[in-house]
Amino acid sequence: MKLFKEKINELDEVNREFLSQSLTNIITLHELVNQFINKKLNKEDLEKVIQGEKKCDRIKEKYVQVLFRDKRALPFLVEDRYSILMKLDKTNDKIEYFARFLEVYPFDLYEDIKEEFKILIDSTVETVQELTTCATLIETDFEGAYKKTFEIEAIRRKARKAKFELLNTIFKKTKDPTKVYLTSKLVTYIYDVASWAEEVSDYLRGLIIKYPSR
Amino acid sequence: MALEYIIILFLIISIIISFGIGANDETMATIYGSKTLKMKELLILATILSILGAVLLGSAVSKTVGKDLFSFEIDHSMVLTVLISTAIWLILSSAYGLPISTTHATIGAIIGVGILLGGPFGVNWPTILELGMWWLLSPIIGYIVTYYAYKLIHKTITPKLTGFKSYERSEKFFSYMLLAVICWTAFSRAGNDCSNAVGIVVGAGIGVDLNIMLIITGFSLASGLVILGRGVIKSVGTITELHPSTAFAAQIPIAVILFFGTILGIPLSGSHMLVASLVGLAKARRAPTRKGMWKIVSVWLLTFPIAAILSIVLYFPINYFI
Repeated sequence: MKLFKEKINELDEVNREFLSQSLTNIITLHELVNQFINKKLNKEDLEKVIQGEKKCDRIKEKYVQVLFRDKRALPFLVEDRYSILMKLDKTNDKIEYFARFLEVYPFDLYEDIKEEFKILIDSTVETVQELTTCATLIETDFEGAYKKTFEIEAIRRKARKAKFELLNTIFKKTKDPTKVYLTSKLVTYIYDVASWAEEVSDYLRGLIIKYPSR
Repeated sequence: MALEYIIILFLIISIIISFGIGANDETMATIYGSKTLKMKELLILATILSILGAVLLGSAVSKTVGKDLFSFEIDHSMVLTVLISTAIWLILSSAYGLPISTTHATIGAIIGVGILLGGPFGVNWPTILELGMWWLLSPIIGYIVTYYAYKLIHKTITPKLTGFKSYERSEKFFSYMLLAVICWTAFSRAGNDCSNAVGIVVGAGIGVDLNIMLIITGFSLASGLVILGRGVIKSVGTITELHPSTAFAAQIPIAVILFFGTILGIPLSGSHMLVASLVGLAKARRAPTRKGMWKIVSVWLLTFPIAAILSIVLYFPINYFI
C-alpha cells in the first residue's frame, strides 16, 4: 500500500537543507574565530556568516510554507516542528549577532585568555552541532535524540565554566576599561549561543517525553 | 380531520423530526475533533451517507420502533404528539450544541402520552425499564470500552513509534481507519435514526409509502446536519484533545458495540456512548475534558421528563385539531 511506503518528503528535504545551512554557519564561524584568536582574521569574511543566516531565513520561510500546506491530519506535529524550527532559527540569529559584534570589535584578544577563549568557542560550536544532530534524530529516533540532549547539557556546562574563567581574568585587568568591557561582551555573546542551544535541547527533551504519552 | 391532511401533517412532522435528528447527530464529531476533515468536507460526507443510509437501511428497522411501548392501541394524535415533542426537544438541544439521544426523547414522549391517557399502566413498564437500563448502561459501556481500547493501543502501538516520522505514518494510518469507521457508523446510524422519524408513523398505519418516507427523511436528516449540526459536532468533538489514533480508540468500540447491539436488539444510545467514551479516553490519557460537561449530562437526565412533559402539554391541543 502506498500509505506504508516511505515517500520522498518535501518537508524532509527542506528540513535537511535548513539544518545543513545552520551547520555550515557555525562551522564557518568556528574557523573565523580561530583566525581571530590567531590574529589572522579578515573581518570581511564574517560576512559569510551573516549571509549564511540570511540563507537560513529563506529556507525557513520555505519550510513554513511546506509545513502549513496541509496541517489537517497531524496538527500537533506541525505545531511541534514549527516551534523547533523557530528555536533553531533563533540559534542562527544569535550566531549572526555574534559575527556582527566581532566585525566591529576593535581590539585583538588578550594573550592570556586565548586558551580559555578557544575552549569556549569550541564548546559553543559543539553544542550547536549536537543540537543539529538532535533535531535530525528527533525525526526518526527519539531515544538517540533524548540522549543527545544530555550531551548538549554537559557541553554547555563546559562552556559556562570557560565563560566565567574568562570573565574572571578579564575583570581583573585595570588597563583600558573599554577593551575590558567589550571583551566581556564578546565572551557573553558567544556563550549566549551555547546557552540558547542548551535551552532548545531542553525543549526537545520535553517534547520527546511528551510524545510516547500521546 | 381528513386522512389526506393527516398524512401531509405526518409527513411534515416526520421531516421536522428527522431534521432534529440530523441536527443532533454527533457521528462526525471525532473526525472534526481530530482534524482529519474540515467541517465543510465532513458535512458533505455526512449528507451523502445520511441519504444513502436512510434509503438503503431505513426500511429494515422502520417497523420496529414505537411498538410495544404503549399498553393500549395508539391513534394519530398520540403519534403526532410524540413526534412533535421529540422534534422540539431535539431542535432545542441542538441549537445549544448539546447531544441527546433521539430514542430517549421519543420514549420520554411516549411515557408522557401513555401516562396521560392510560394512567400509571398506560405504558409498558417492563419494556420501558429495560430501555432505561440501557440508558444507564450505554455511557458506562462507552467509558469502559474506550478506556481499555486506548490503553491497548497505547501499550501495543505507541512503544513502536520512535520518531516524528513514525508518528506521522501511524496517525495517517489511523486517520484512514477512522474515516472508514465513521462512514460505516454514519451510514448505519442514518438507517437507524430514520426509524425514529418514520417508524411511529408506520406503526399508526396511515398507509404512507415507506420508501418515499425514507427518501424524504433522509434528505431532511442531511439538512438538519448541515444547518444546525455543526454545534453538536463541535461540542462533542472538543470534549477532549483528539488525534486520529485517539479518536479511533474512542470510535471503534462504539461502532462495534452499536453494530452488535443492533443485531441483538439492544437499544444502546450512540450519543451517550460517544460522549462517555471521550470522557473515558481523557481519563485514560490523563488529559483534561472541556468545561461544561455538566450541561451535557444534565440534558441527558432531563430528556425523559422534558419530552414527557412536552407530550402531556401538547397532546390536548393536537387532539383538538385532529
